[in-house]
Amino acid sequence: MRMTGNALLQQYKTGPGFWDEMCNNGVIRPEYGHIAQTLSETLVESLHYKDKLAGELFMNQGITFTVYSDDEGIERIFPFDIIPRIITGKEWDFIEQGIKQRLTALNLFLKDIYSERQILNDKIIPADLIASCPEYTREVYGIRPAHDIYVHISGIDLIRSDSGQFYILEDNLRTPSGVSYMLENREVTKRIFPGLLGANNVRMVSNYPLILHQNLLSLAPRHISNPTVVLLTPGVFNSAYYEHTFLARQMGIPLVEARDLMVQNHRVFMKTTQGLQQVHVIYRRVDDIFLDPLSFKSESILGIPGLISAYRKGNVALVNAPGNGVADDKAVYAYVPSMIRYYLNEEPILPNVPTYQLMDQGAREYVFNNISNMVIKKTNQSGGYGMLMGNKTTDEEVEKFREEVEKDSRNFIAQPIIKLSTVPCFIDGKLQSRHVDLRPYALCGPQGIDIVPGGLTRVALREGSLVVNSSQGGGSKDTWVVDLKINEE
Amino acid sequence: MLSRVADSLYWLDRYMERTDAMIRVLRTNYVLSFDDGINSVASSRQLLNIFGYLPEEKLLEYERDPEATMRFLITDSTNPNSLRSIISKARENARGAQDHITKEVWEQVNQVYHQVNDPSMEKRLNDETLKVIDQLTEYITLYYGVTASTMPRGNGWNLMNTGKFIERCLLTIDIARQHMGVIEYKLDESRDILYWRNLLLSLSGYELHLKTYRTRNHDWNVVDQVLFNPNFTRSVRYSLQKIKGYLTKIVEHNNPEGKELLWNQFGRMLSRIEYADMDQVRHEKVEEFLRHTRNDMVNFHQLLGKSFFSYH
Repeated sequence: MRMTGNALLQQYKTGPGFWDEMCNNGVIRPEYGHIAQTLSETLVESLHYKDKLAGELFMNQGITFTVYSDDEGIERIFPFDIIPRIITGKEWDFIEQGIKQRLTALNLFLKDIYSERQILNDKIIPADLIASCPEYTREVYGIRPAHDIYVHISGIDLIRSDSGQFYILEDNLRTPSGVSYMLENREVTKRIFPGLLGANNVRMVSNYPLILHQNLLSLAPRHISNPTVVLLTPGVFNSAYYEHTFLARQMGIPLVEARDLMVQNHRVFMKTTQGLQQVHVIYRRVDDIFLDPLSFKSESILGIPGLISAYRKGNVALVNAPGNGVADDKAVYAYVPSMIRYYLNEEPILPNVPTYQLMDQGAREYVFNNISNMVIKKTNQSGGYGMLMGNKTTDEEVEKFREEVEKDSRNFIAQPIIKLSTVPCFIDGKLQSRHVDLRPYALCGPQGIDIVPGGLTRVALREGSLVVNSSQGGGSKDTWVVDLKINEE
Repeated sequence: MLSRVADSLYWLDRYMERTDAMIRVLRTNYVLSFDDGINSVASSRQLLNIFGYLPEEKLLEYERDPEATMRFLITDSTNPNSLRSIISKARENARGAQDHITKEVWEQVNQVYHQVNDPSMEKRLNDETLKVIDQLTEYITLYYGVTASTMPRGNGWNLMNTGKFIERCLLTIDIARQHMGVIEYKLDESRDILYWRNLLLSLSGYELHLKTYRTRNHDWNVVDQVLFNPNFTRSVRYSLQKIKGYLTKIVEHNNPEGKELLWNQFGRMLSRIEYADMDQVRHEKVEEFLRHTRNDMVNFHQLLGKSFFSYH
């Protein structure tokens, strides 16, 4: 007899001490009711087929990255798990409020830190913490971007602890990537589970590019009725290039490289077959330091000489604003709750993960005495690099890290290892639980903050791993925000 | 449109056209190589001359080993003119202009790319050569179909097609020169149509030839078809007519500096073909006529680049 998903559901095991998003003590949570029902009626071979089809869809669309071995490039897709991760509408509304509150405070902080610096004068944040932050960008001091918006696009990482509580893990306020996966994952789910989305009242994500485009248009100098908006990419060899083309196409704006742009008389132009054409808004996916060789890294070939001077004059808008790195520095992160209290006079809705500043001698000792429960992170690195997981390390590695920390304690923080929640994944023909985080994407425009309901769920595909980054063996899932009917709640 | 994107679109179709031509030439040679004796060795050399630059000793080596020839021309990444290399370049250009081609066109380019980079390709080439070639033909045909049915008829489309027909014109001349070169352009010796079958099949013009030309003067009929036949989609004249149509729209839309120079150059080249007849070709000698036309086309391509793609 051919096996159905029902047997897989019966065999599904959740790890002890973790919050499983589908099962609560062996009972399926209401939000997973429809999907569990569908799974139980689907043949395992059909799930295999869906898995294969999803892989082919990603491959044919070129949503790939290149792995080099023996000098030959092999195209691989970012792993995608076919079973969606579900968040209830109620949970989402809470997350949304929390992110809006946090972003409002972070925007006010950036405006303050690049002008009055009241927050330093009032000693809410130590001035030396900002002064020693490598991402604090003196070159943009005093520049006021349109509508005082600094963080136009953000991807704020959330995790869920063993009690089901959501925590903010980190703020990505520079050039967060991954939104194309959020959108493409949904398109693939439509192909492999047609009908399920409708039956589940899943909130829509596909309007993200439209909102982004509207926001970008609204940032142009006010006297321009039909502004030229472009997306600046480092080029075809960038690992997020697919995303750049995807967004440019979805918004109908030109995708440009630095060599396509030039600055003349503090105005930015692009070189077209019809001659030079002025550019008013640049959604840039190039890091700050490469943006303008005259202001930042002089050897950058990804930048446009004179761009920052055009930006300072208000002739071009840059999205996100340069200099945002100071607000998502991992050491500054610990002060975001204080920022919320200071600027908004509110209590933070979404809590931070407790964070130890390793500049402090006492905190340092506490962290190394309890290293098996701690993760130490470099403040200026991301992507799962520059990190020490205390529960999966050797004494030698700890010692080596301790030496590094002692030398440069400003640039390290520590956090207790949070038991990330788990979700079911279809791996090797079985349903297996794996850890996940969540990155919702928020868009700030003159009309307010919009967060498309869902975001990117990143999965640590290795058994037991808590590292979800794609560079460290992570994959992704479609994320559904589901409005339960009253009788289902 | 960005000059860089214009350049990428132009080259995307040039490379795809080259791929298409190369597959057809490969198929023709492969199938004809089973016919006893005639042309088999010679044709493999012509093939290598058209699509590779090899020293004499290497040519001799490949002539003796048809499987190695196939690998060199299809999957060898060290050969800049192998199908794998050309398709990779096409894809690179498509990637750089991804927001100006439709999703469907991008997916089609990707499909060909993955097909030719499939790790099992080399093995399959040995076991089922014709099937592999036919599959590639199918993908390229789909590329043309999808491009024609989904690309908007704007600047991008016009540039792509200009690239396509410039490449077609150059390839027709190159392939013809190879076949005529073997007989040292001695075209008055009443050859059998079987001699020209390889050339005509390589250009998809064999059936048209049989239907169009009734006299037995095959050598000169072939010259007429390749250069002047207005209904033959791979003739020089047809390609130039097509380029004229697309160029008119490109110039109209972009109004570049130096457009007069561009038109003068193109007009001279077109007139040479439009108003020439076989007597003139005989007088000028076919070899010289083809060489002259090719040079004109290369110069035109360079001028086009200066007018639209000079973004460096």
